[in-house]
Amino acid sequence: MFKGAQLNKSVTMTAASLVAGVASLALAAPAMAAGVAAGSLIENTATATYTAAAGTQTIDSNTVTLKVDEILDVATVSQESGPVAASTTAALRFRVTNTGNGPESFVLTANPAVSGNAFDATVTGLAIDTNGNGVFDAGVDTALTNGATSAVLAADGPLDVLVLVTIPANAAPNATSRVELIATATTGTGPAGTLFAGAGVGLGDAVVGASTARATAQAVLTVDKAVVTLNKSATVADPFGGTRPVPNAVITYRIVADVTGTGSVSGLAVTDAIPTGTAFLPGSLTLEGTGLTDAADSDAGQGGASGIAVQLGTLAAGAQRTVTFQVRIN
Amino acid sequence: MSHRHLLSALAAIALAAGASVPAAAQAAPAVSLTSEVKVVRQVTENGTTREVMEEPAKVLPGDRLLFATRYNNSGSQPATDFVVVNPLPAAVKLARVDGFDVSVDGGKTFGALAALKVARSDGTTRAAELGDVTHVRWRVASIAPGASGNVSYFAEVR
Repeated sequence: MFKGAQLNKSVTMTAASLVAGVASLALAAPAMAAGVAAGSLIENTATATYTAAAGTQTIDSNTVTLKVDEILDVATVSQESGPVAASTTAALRFRVTNTGNGPESFVLTANPAVSGNAFDATVTGLAIDTNGNGVFDAGVDTALTNGATSAVLAADGPLDVLVLVTIPANAAPNATSRVELIATATTGTGPAGTLFAGAGVGLGDAVVGASTARATAQAVLTVDKAVVTLNKSATVADPFGGTRPVPNAVITYRIVADVTGTGSVSGLAVTDAIPTGTAFLPGSLTLEGTGLTDAADSDAGQGGASGIAVQLGTLAAGAQRTVTFQVRIN
Repeated sequence: MSHRHLLSALAAIALAAGASVPAAAQAAPAVSLTSEVKVVRQVTENGTTREVMEEPAKVLPGDRLLFATRYNNSGSQPATDFVVVNPLPAAVKLARVDGFDVSVDGGKTFGALAALKVARSDGTTRAAELGDVTHVRWRVASIAPGASGNVSYFAEVR
């Protein structure tokens, strides 16, 4: 490098040696998005030629040498294009990039408790998406505990990180929650310009860049699940054309099942007991206004002294089913 | 700290090499070149910003450097057709042209930056830019015995 610079004596140099000299200079100090690699040497030598009585003279200056110090920078982005819908678990995709100019490792911390969340997910761990497919493959992707330190990333090096979360059972359908991933340089963080003497490449200094050596990104979770609500009401018809609950009055129970949220529910059954002091009115069971036989047979319902049961099966969000049956007051 | 030692060690090597080279040509010609580098910092005091030249204790991508070369004719005769060529270190980019010629082809040809072209990979050419400059060159017609001067360029760490 130093010798190469000395070769560049302007007037006498051949084209071939010039090309070789330039190529070796370029290889010695690769420039990246983050700038020249930390630890690179900047060596400057001037050469002069002149004419004197003794003829043409060529002289070199001394070579001044600087070492490029390390700049600590990091970027974190969510790789999700929009909210991630999940019912129980999810892997949220992030990318951490070493935007500094030297090798650096980063502490990776996922925080599910972001201000404004309708609910907070539970972070079960982190994973390095080793095969880059965007999903967590146990045994393939490298699992990390939350708050662990990444492997050393080369300058410009990206790291695909999955944040593994579970959604609490009581989270409401369509509720949203933010989960953030924070990456901090292990050498240190602080306001831009903070100096860590001797902590850089080759015992050079490390200096915090514009990112403060800490970067955060957020991904949004939405709860993708269906919820069933049952609403039961009763109307009384007494034998006298009124609505008093007197003996021999007939009570019509109406049970409305609403499926809300997203997705569907399966195996949904509505059951109800016959209240004490009343008797089931045979043949009174209906589903969506259509009569069901009391026997346990091919239709969806059955009814008797022990109660009623109607199999609603699989219902998508937005569906509503109405079951009615009648009892007579003893 | 360690690179300070390296720096001075390199300077010593350069001086030793410089001392041995003219042995063949010898005699009166005694022009010497001395290079130095400073880092240019913006300093804001009382609301006004000015540039100061500092010793480069810390160098980061984006920093502006001033490379200066001092020439001194300690001989008894004038040195004529004095030409200083300075290859740019690969890690820096010329920051501005201050009245010197530049080369964008590794020092083969020199000229004003605006007059130079760079070949694209498809065979066409485009106007040369500061980032293309590989060498800078100054010309001094004659340096009288005992005279000295200074040439310099500003560059930015890539």
